[in-house]
Order: sequence, then structure tokens, then C-alpha cells
Amino acid sequence: MKRFFILLGKLLVKGLQLLGKNAGNLPGCILWTLTRHKCVSLFQVDCPIIAVTGTNGKTSVTSYVAKLFSGEGVKLITNSAGNNLDTGICSLLLQHCDWKGRVNADYLILETDESHVPVVYSQLKLETLVVLNFFRDQLDRNGEVETLILKINEFCKTFEGNLILNGDDPNTARLGRANPNNKNVKYFHAEPYAHATTQLFEAGEGRFCPFCGSALEYAYYQYSHIGKFACPECGYGTHTPYVTTTDIDLDKPSFRIGENTYTPALNSIYHVYNMTAVTAVAKLYDIDNRILTDAIANYTVKNGRMESFTLGENPAVLNLAKNPVGANMTLRVMNEMSGEKELLFVLNDNIADGLDVSWIWDINFSVFERVTRVVTSGTRAHDIAVRIKCAGYDPSKIVVRPKLDDAVEELNTTAGKKFVIANYTAVQPTRAALKRYIEKHGGAANEAN
Amino acid sequence: MKPIKILHMYADMLDLYGDSGNMEILQYRCKMRGIPCEIEHYSRTSEVPDFSSYDLIYLGGGADLEQQILSADLPRCSEGLKKAYADGVFFLMICGGYQLMGKYYRDADGNELPGVGLFDYHTIAPNSRRKRCIGNIVVQTEITGEPLDIIGFENHGGQTSGVTSPFGKVRCGNGNCFQSDTEGYCGKNVIATYLHGPLLAKNPKLSDYILTYCLSRREDAPEQLAPLDDTLENECRAVMLERLLKK
Repeated sequence: MKRFFILLGKLLVKGLQLLGKNAGNLPGCILWTLTRHKCVSLFQVDCPIIAVTGTNGKTSVTSYVAKLFSGEGVKLITNSAGNNLDTGICSLLLQHCDWKGRVNADYLILETDESHVPVVYSQLKLETLVVLNFFRDQLDRNGEVETLILKINEFCKTFEGNLILNGDDPNTARLGRANPNNKNVKYFHAEPYAHATTQLFEAGEGRFCPFCGSALEYAYYQYSHIGKFACPECGYGTHTPYVTTTDIDLDKPSFRIGENTYTPALNSIYHVYNMTAVTAVAKLYDIDNRILTDAIANYTVKNGRMESFTLGENPAVLNLAKNPVGANMTLRVMNEMSGEKELLFVLNDNIADGLDVSWIWDINFSVFERVTRVVTSGTRAHDIAVRIKCAGYDPSKIVVRPKLDDAVEELNTTAGKKFVIANYTAVQPTRAALKRYIEKHGGAANEAN
Repeated sequence: MKPIKILHMYADMLDLYGDSGNMEILQYRCKMRGIPCEIEHYSRTSEVPDFSSYDLIYLGGGADLEQQILSADLPRCSEGLKKAYADGVFFLMICGGYQLMGKYYRDADGNELPGVGLFDYHTIAPNSRRKRCIGNIVVQTEITGEPLDIIGFENHGGQTSGVTSPFGKVRCGNGNCFQSDTEGYCGKNVIATYLHGPLLAKNPKLSDYILTYCLSRREDAPEQLAPLDDTLENECRAVMLERLLKK
């Protein structure tokens, strides 16, 4: 039966590819139904599997980790297209297995949706799990953050592989206590950067100790609830870091880990944490520091993550923001950009975004600096316009253009810097609209990578 | 002019789904009219304040864990809250805050959390955490004296019954229970509802109803609030009502 499913799956993949369709999810969905939800168990994987999960930064960290392991003669399988559910991973493996379901690779490096970690890795043997952070995200789809953490915590109770955790996120670090017998728990940590605060600045989730309920105390917050925390009652938060990032200087930008200095391609604290996680993986797998240094300095993910464009004559940056923490980070980056700029915010409420757009009220828009005009677009263009207005922004400078092409045209009726924020399902259509604009009016999309 | 005084209770714990946006909206609508508005906070570590000294008491929604933690704190506030309500202070409560002001809340594991008991309703969560009322919702209320469509988003497991005077009729969505006809609870000086969005984002008339009530309790009450330019809000309402009610 198993061979039949594999055969069927492979035929589906080939068929879809011949038709020029995306085979990223559908074959997996069909096998998921046929195998009674155990579609990943069809495969035999003998190589190490490294999984990356968390609310924000999965795609970036996964592609940097893949970069570390890539090289001549190395067979690497990774879901760079972002199909990170069990059905997406099934579809990916179908393309790399033999007729018996044996996967031929040296490493599997898989971005994995938070809610699917227990599902996928109860069926495949996981060697290393990297957990970046837990923030409020798509509450109507994922439920409360707490429910999601409990699911992964349950998985970690019997997991004995490497567990690389953000030691500065109380929601994530708690997973380190799930299995007291696991000797392979490793925390990463960062010393405060110049804009760290002693007060919580943006909506955060981890205000209370998950073990005793007391209010957590923070030596500093880096962003949202990420920072140096400790529970005054039960001592939670005193773990020893495996990797510590110091001397963070976002102006250069640069940071140090141990003896080594790194110069990241992007200058946000959020990116520094991602790179700290990547460094922890590099250390665990004894990756040559030259390879790590080069990846951090020169590699970037070109997928609507701080992606540069030139629209006619206007320089523009596009960034994904699918939840308040991501959006607040993006606004900080936009504010730190010198000179005046105009903002395009594209907000959709499709199923994958979460139907609930209440989260935009957790974005701190009162911090706008030198933003001379705002254009809004997407299926919830009006909601984001109202949100920005109520933060005190002059409504006469807000233009609502639900259709993306209209919005991009509107944005470029004036000369100057542009900043574009789009949520989850809005990112790819926005990239496409920016490229259409460039085709029509000239400019450049930064395709190289 | 004397400021409108708001007490935002447990802002550090009941702050899911952007509910604190309601405070930002009330503050914004006051500021645009030159009405001073002060928001104070109460949390577990605060001293019990004189609840009757406020014009408005506000509670947002929270997760189960947080609701458990603060139900232990509620008894010390209960007398003061009851007195404030009797004195005519306006109560605005969303989701978890709505549930906690009732008789009790029984969570998915069967734990019963006693509420303040200010109102007679009670809430029971289904045994399965997967069963939730989730989605866009439109409720028609008559609280302002004429039918008004209130647009928001509901996301609750708890099923509330024993409501004597609901906030409104459900036009689209679930309401107090799965597929129910009515949503929320209201009275002369109370609105309790499951609506996030946040509640006031797309419902400026409701914001102004609440502000008008707060001002009406004082001697120098203005005849009516100065009108504001709600063009963006009204366009947003039109788009959503068209989308949600046309089915």
C-alpha cells in the first residue's frame, strides 16, 4: 500500500509539473487524506533532520542554515518555497524519494509551522529543533499562543535530540524544561543593544512565569517581550547560554560572538537574533567560521523580506509583517531610515492571514517619523487606514486604494523614498505589483541572490 | 473642563486581540473635541481604588491562563465594582472581561472560576478547546435609540447564558452561544460583548454614545458632542457590511 501511495504521489507531482502548476501542496493533501493524516510516515529518512520553527523568522533562519550546509557534493533538501505544513513537507519529499519512499539526501533542513511540529516529527526522526520565538499571530487560526506552546511542549517531553531555544524569550525557553532527561538543550542569548529598554515598549506575550504565575522581571527588553528575564519567585530564567551575542552595533551593523565579529546584511535587532540562532546551529555542527561569517555578511533572503526595488526613480523597500511584533520591528527599521518617506501598507484577511485584523491595533503607529504620506491597500485597506488615523496621523495624508496596482501607482505619484509593508498573503501579490510597475515605468527589482 | 476619567483594569493581562485599541479610540475622539481624557490602570499589584470616582471602567479580553490568575484578584474589587455600577459608572467589557463580571466561568477543563457576580449570566466553555465561535460578526443594537449595526470579530469558546438584556441581535455570526440570536449584555450604563476588532474601531457612533453617557453625569454636560469627520470609518463600515450581509 505504501508503495502505491508513493507512486501515486510521484505521478501527481509529475502531472502537476507538466501542467505547469505548483506541486508544493496538493499531492501532500491527497496523500494526507488517503493515509488518514499520516502522509509523512510514508518516507524513510536516514540523514539528519534540522527543523526551524517559531512565530517570526522561520523562513530566514531556515535559508541561512541551508546556506551553511550547502556545498559541492552535498545533497540538501529544504523547503525554500515555504511549504511548512505536513502536506507541504510530504509534497517536497515526494520529489526526492525513490519508489520505496527512501529519501536520498545528506541533510533535511525544514522550516516547520509551529502547530505542525508534533505532527511531522512524530513521524520522522528529528535530530535538531530550533525554536525562535512565540508571539501572538493569527489567533483565530492558531488559537491562543499558550495553546500552541503547550502542543510543542508536549512534543518536547519525549524529544531527546538537540533543542536550540531562544533563551531571551520566556515562551520559548520554557520548552527546555519539558524533558528533564534531555541533555541536549541549548539556549541562545543576546546582550542589550543601544535601543533596549527597561520598560515593555510593544505588545508582548510573556509577562508571567509559566511555572509559578508571578510577574517576570526584566533586566532589559530588546523588542516586544524578548530580553533578559527572570522569575523573582521560582528562579526560571537562569539558564546558561550556549551562544551569546555581544557588542551589537546596528549602525555599522556588526556584532560579536565569542572571539568573532560578524557584519550582518541587515541592521535590525530582530535580524541579529535570527543570526544568533544560525550561529548556534553552526557551533553545534562544527561549521567552519569562515562559512558562517560569509553567510551572515553576504547572503540575503529575497522573498519580500527587506527586499529592495527601484520604482521608476524611487528607491523602495518591501518587508513582510504578519503580526504586531513583526510590524513594530518593521516600523522601527522604517523610522531609522533617514529622510522623508511614504508608506504603503497592504493588509489582507485571507484564511492564511487569519481572518481577524484586530492585531493591527497592537502595532504602535504613534512612532511614525518623517512619514509624509500613507497609502493603504488589500482586502482590509480601510481597516488599516482607520487604525493609522486613530494613532493620530493626519487623515488627509491617508489614501485608500484597495486594488494593488492602483495603490502602487498612487504611491509613485510623488518622488522620494518608499517603504512597503505587506502581511502574509499580501507579500507575493505586492511583489508582483511592484514588478508590474517596474515593467511599465522602469526601475529595477533586486533579483540577484 | 473636568477630564473624563477611565479605569482600564488588568491592561497587562487582558490585552488580547488588540482590545486596548478601544482606549486609544476613546482618547482620540476626546482629543479631537478638546475634551480632556485620563486613563488610569489597575492591576494585581495596585491598591484597590475608589471605583466610583471614575466615569468609565474598562476590561478587555484575555487567554484562559490569565483569566485564572486574575480571578483570584477579583474578590477584593467586587464590593467596590458593585457600588460603582450602582452609582452609574459606565462599564465596558470585552470577551474575558464580559465573562468575569458574570456569576462564574467554567473553563474547558471543568475548573469553575467565580466571577464578580455583578450580572446574572454565566459562561461555560465546551470540553473541546477546538470548539470556538470564530469569525466576523454583525450585531444590531438599539442602545443608541435607533437600530445600529455593530461590526466586529468574535473568537470565544465560552458559551454565555442567562442574559436578560442582550446587547443586540445577531445579523451574521454566532453571538453568546453557537448560532444564537443574541449577543452580549447591556443596560443603561453597561455594554458587555464578545466583539473584538477592536469593538469601537468600526463603530464610531457607539464610541460617541459611551462618551455622551460619561458627560451626561455632570452638571456642565454639553448638549451634544461636536461632530467628527468619520469618512474613513464609514467607508470601512460600508465595505464590511456589504461583504458580510449580502449572503
